Amino acid sequence: MATQQVEAGAAGHGAEPRGKRGEDGQATYLIAIAEALWEEMERDERVFMLGEDIGVYGGAFKVTEGFIERFGPERVMDTPIAEETIVGMSVGAAMEGLRPVAEFQYADFMSSGFDEITTVLSRYHYRAGVPLPVVLRGPSGGGVRASSFHSINPEPWYAYAGGIKIICPAFPSDAKGLLKSAIRDDNPSMFLEHKWIYRRIKEQVSEDPEFLVPIGTADVKREGSDVSIITYGAMVHKALEAAEALAQRGISAEIVDLRTVYPLDEETILRSIEKTSRALVLYESYRFLGIGTEVAAVIAEKAFEHLDAPVVRLAPPNVPVPFSPPLEDAFLPQIADIEAAVDRLAGW
Amino acid sequence: MTSIQMPQLGETIVEGTILKWLKREGDSVERDEPLFEISTDKVDTEVPSPVAGTVRKILVEEGTTVPVGTALMEIDEAGAASGAASGDGASGDAASSPASGAAPPAGATADVSAGAASSVGSSAAPPPAAPAPAAAPAPASAAAPAATAVATVPDRGPRSQILSPLVRRLAKEHDLDLAQIPGTGSGGRITKADVMAVISSGAAAPAMAPAQPMPAPSAGIGDEVVPVSHIRRAIAEHMLASTQGTARAWTMVEVNVDHLVKLRERVKDAFQERYGIKITYLPLVVRATVDALLEYPDVNGRLDGENIVRHRFVNMGIAVSYDAGLIVPVVKGADGMNTIGVARSIADLAARARAHQLTPDEVQGATFTITNPGPYGSIASVPIINQPNVGILSLDAIVKRPVVIDDAIAIRSMVNLSMSWDHRVIDGELATRFLARVKQNLESWDFAEDLGV
Amino acid sequence: MPVPAWLIRPGTVPYDVGNAAMHRLAERRLADEIPDTVILLEHPPVFTAGRRAKVDELLWSPQEVEARGGLVRMIDRGGSFTYHGPGQLVGYPILGLGSRPDAVDYLRRLEEAVIGICGDVGVASERRADVQTGVWVGNDKICAIGVRLMRARVTLHGFALNCETDLSWFRGIVACGLPEHGQTSLSDQLGRRVSVADVLPLAERHLAEVFDLSFQPAPAEIVSPFQVADAV
Repeated sequence: MATQQVEAGAAGHGAEPRGKRGEDGQATYLIAIAEALWEEMERDERVFMLGEDIGVYGGAFKVTEGFIERFGPERVMDTPIAEETIVGMSVGAAMEGLRPVAEFQYADFMSSGFDEITTVLSRYHYRAGVPLPVVLRGPSGGGVRASSFHSINPEPWYAYAGGIKIICPAFPSDAKGLLKSAIRDDNPSMFLEHKWIYRRIKEQVSEDPEFLVPIGTADVKREGSDVSIITYGAMVHKALEAAEALAQRGISAEIVDLRTVYPLDEETILRSIEKTSRALVLYESYRFLGIGTEVAAVIAEKAFEHLDAPVVRLAPPNVPVPFSPPLEDAFLPQIADIEAAVDRLAGW
Repeated sequence: MTSIQMPQLGETIVEGTILKWLKREGDSVERDEPLFEISTDKVDTEVPSPVAGTVRKILVEEGTTVPVGTALMEIDEAGAASGAASGDGASGDAASSPASGAAPPAGATADVSAGAASSVGSSAAPPPAAPAPAAAPAPASAAAPAATAVATVPDRGPRSQILSPLVRRLAKEHDLDLAQIPGTGSGGRITKADVMAVISSGAAAPAMAPAQPMPAPSAGIGDEVVPVSHIRRAIAEHMLASTQGTARAWTMVEVNVDHLVKLRERVKDAFQERYGIKITYLPLVVRATVDALLEYPDVNGRLDGENIVRHRFVNMGIAVSYDAGLIVPVVKGADGMNTIGVARSIADLAARARAHQLTPDEVQGATFTITNPGPYGSIASVPIINQPNVGILSLDAIVKRPVVIDDAIAIRSMVNLSMSWDHRVIDGELATRFLARVKQNLESWDFAEDLGV
Repeated sequence: MPVPAWLIRPGTVPYDVGNAAMHRLAERRLADEIPDTVILLEHPPVFTAGRRAKVDELLWSPQEVEARGGLVRMIDRGGSFTYHGPGQLVGYPILGLGSRPDAVDYLRRLEEAVIGICGDVGVASERRADVQTGVWVGNDKICAIGVRLMRARVTLHGFALNCETDLSWFRGIVACGLPEHGQTSLSDQLGRRVSVADVLPLAERHLAEVFDLSFQPAPAEIVSPFQVADAV
């Protein structure tokens, strides 16, 4: 594999993409993801990447900019527009001992490989006893005026398959640690990067190449005592803003960021409900059968005697993501909607 | 006797007219059956009876207009003893609610402690509860069955009858009378905050929030993280509540049980053969303690608000260690049993405890508790009081020790008998006298005859 | 949180059929077998007399009434005579008020809902505490309100809003016992036709709002008693 050294970047951290952190050393969600990929590629030669436009072009969102120069075209593979084949190749490569990380230009396109993902990838270990360390990753979610072909939240479709871990981080640090864990995991994972968060959110992120966040653990992003908001993805950030406004009115909201939506960290969820006795399940996947449906059922079943109010869900309707900005805004839960839902719960 | 008054049908309605009596004096009346028709300037209605009974007297004539609140009719309620009969049908409810109330608190407490999901639909007895916070007091207690009050929340608004699962559970666990708790929620609903306010004000015994989560385990590499079982959690809550809610003090006495050890050696085989169970020191200690409890009834009591309730019977809780943790089955009416009876009862309860076969009734209602860590080797323990008891006695290991007798050193089998007790209810002198009595009983009684072998 | 409630819209229902079905639903509501229910319908011409009605407030003889195709019924609500007929939206909310009912609050909310409906159509109306319960435009009543409670906690009867009612029928009675006051209707006020069908969705919305209800269509077996054909 032809590789070449790349000069240190702006913050003097060495090779890309760590060089792309801000002056203060903070990394955006996108850069944190790029760092994870870079570090795992450096750590383990069996890791390789494939996807549309990830090599020469540096990726549609520029996540993989600089990678092909460092790791070469055999480990940073540009593919045709052929999602089913991308998944199939990943399956085959994994069978042969490699550790593929497949990028989907938009998570929406994963459904072109639906059968390979659900019938083959998610079941292969069950059928043949051979673990497949495949990571499927791509940008998901809306709120960016990208309309229904580029804004899907596909996690419910693939969670249903049962054999794939589905990760939906909301913060850069979580994203980095979780992606590294996913790549090191011998099981298939789907790593969904919410595109609204890509360049909007940044924070201090560890540079320790062994920094990992365990898959399947939720995290309390804001402590509170009156209502628990169980959520993930971009909605975590909306919930945090709503919580600020609610705090001004004396309502203390606790925010649980699921981080991984399959499998669910039930213990953290239930512990929060035991504390607050009120649950708002906020999610961007569709209301009917979205991830929050399962969360609500778990709470109702296992925390029944801790509930002082019904379990309430807030999510968009099951319609194609609208293109028109006012329509998309009406479609997505907004901060005002979250506040109103919490108000109703608190006053039940 | 219930007085029926002119109801207030709206804030600004100040009077009403009796249009027509639907019942005459002497008529019998069912609950919710219409008694009379009224007309106000806003609305007409018939007024139903809050109780079942017989019309004793009609006080106002048809056609009369009277202010709201005027007494119109008197009804003698059917059946129930007078006692606390108030005008809102409490007696009618109390008649039916102990039947429905006594079983659910026990069963539901078991459910809460042992995990609702596992006991739903199971045909066997539900997993036994950890030391239950004694939702129902001892049968003969003079206090009203507070735990069953869930069924008798008075109407204080359109949603005052809506009791959330959390509110119901907290009320049961803390032995609260929901009828005494004002509801500040929407429509008069009793909320978590309302119940917590009562709990934390100390009106009911424990001062902590029962829903406090276990602190998150910070697991290092290689640490094993074991999720807390529901029984464990219930034990934890009970213990913490007891520690925080009682003024715990501790006293110990040394007891010379040399003769008991010798007795046991002598008779144990014959006892086993005759009665099919092993004889241990525990039944002997229970008998000795029962006598002391009857002598010092405050120790066999509980603190109930402003009163110390002295239970009439002795229900001896026996702490049993088993695979799921700790459980305290209760020997009911231990004061009426002889030593053999106590021994049998303990053996049976312990065996069924370990087999997870205790019924909810069997882990409730202890008036005093004994724990026996002796077989595991401790020589002195500071047990945590099994609320709402006043004391808990610990029987530790019997050990041969050098003691001074008549200024000479002799070897005797000695045991430390200690008691954790609640200083809110009794004082050191009483606690010490009590223990001294137990000691005296053990040292002076002849158990041989009692054991029947 | 809005409380789920049933909505029944059976069209035109003979008075006796509707009244009986309404009472039966109220009994079931009393027993908590069914949720809060609202019935919105029309009646063929009928004069109903409440508890305070006086005989001489029926100005036409019963035979005259019958000749015009109307009925006369004495019923269990309070109040005096009123008229129901085609073009008038009649609403029977069957709501549980709890055992500490505030009937005054209930009446006020009903008035508020009707005022809202009139406002949506473009008619400014008001309550007149100085005269009587109901909704008024000036000195004329546009909506009669008459209510009864069952067992002091479930509401019966309700309101009658004139949309395009033939107001000449009111000449047969001293309506609501108020000889000095007249009647009006939405069509009358606006000078254009406003039908019951136009008003139904507004009624649904305003009733849901003032009583915090979330309407669902009632099951067929609940609706069918209202659809019994007239046995002639």
